[in-house]
Amino acid sequence: MSTSLQDKIGMQLETYTFKVEGVKARELALAIGDLKEEYLKGEKLPPTFPTVIDFWGGTQNTSAVLNLNMKKVLHGEMEYEYVGTINPGDVLTVKGSVENAYTKAAMNFFVIKKEFYNEKGELVLISRSTTIERH
Amino acid sequence: MNVGYVFEPIQKDEVTHQQLVKYAGASGDFNQIHTVVPYAEEAGLGGVIAHGMMIMGFIGQAIGEWCSVDDLAKFNVRFRAMTRPGEKITVRGSVVDETADRWVCEAEAVNEAGEVKVKGNFEIRK
Repeated sequence: MSTSLQDKIGMQLETYTFKVEGVKARELALAIGDLKEEYLKGEKLPPTFPTVIDFWGGTQNTSAVLNLNMKKVLHGEMEYEYVGTINPGDVLTVKGSVENAYTKAAMNFFVIKKEFYNEKGELVLISRSTTIERH
Repeated sequence: MNVGYVFEPIQKDEVTHQQLVKYAGASGDFNQIHTVVPYAEEAGLGGVIAHGMMIMGFIGQAIGEWCSVDDLAKFNVRFRAMTRPGEKITVRGSVVDETADRWVCEAEAVNEAGEVKVKGNFEIRK
């Protein structure tokens, strides 16, 4: 493992807030083709909705922070633990960090953990995303 | 539900380039390997590939049809193979185990040839 890769373990990402808008649930549901009425009305969120928060929330591009070559990046794994409920209208605070970074089979692996808190300070979701950078 | 129960498979429409553009806009993942053919070719992918998260979304759709997303406690997947425009995905799943308060289920998204694109597990609160 290269030293620079190991140095990224424990790195804190920018903390940001994100307002969950029902219309974003509708857009995601339409793109997936998951046409449940409660998603289309923006009353409930599809299970993979947090990806919208990942990409639209905050100003920091995680791939850029990790200095990844975007042409070489693939998504390896994704995990959501639905500790609580997220509702449209909630304003979430998202805290992220690099939980692990390692090299295996000529590829770099980065595990990003994010914790999502609602306005009451309750932890509502934990996500873990494994990004793969091909050499 | 009971351990061993096999859910009714969900058949998705063919993945299209337009759908990938729509998914990029909705999710905010604008990595050009998903939408810009020359860029994806330059990246050595031989053309654009679907967002893995969209295929996870297909499984998420199935979970909502098989169970209630309100009862979903955990959902994790591994992205196994790339999906390209023109492919038709089917989502299959079954109940594989149970704990005192949860049903433990497996799910996978496969193409018409049976190639596994995304494989994962989810847990439903009893």
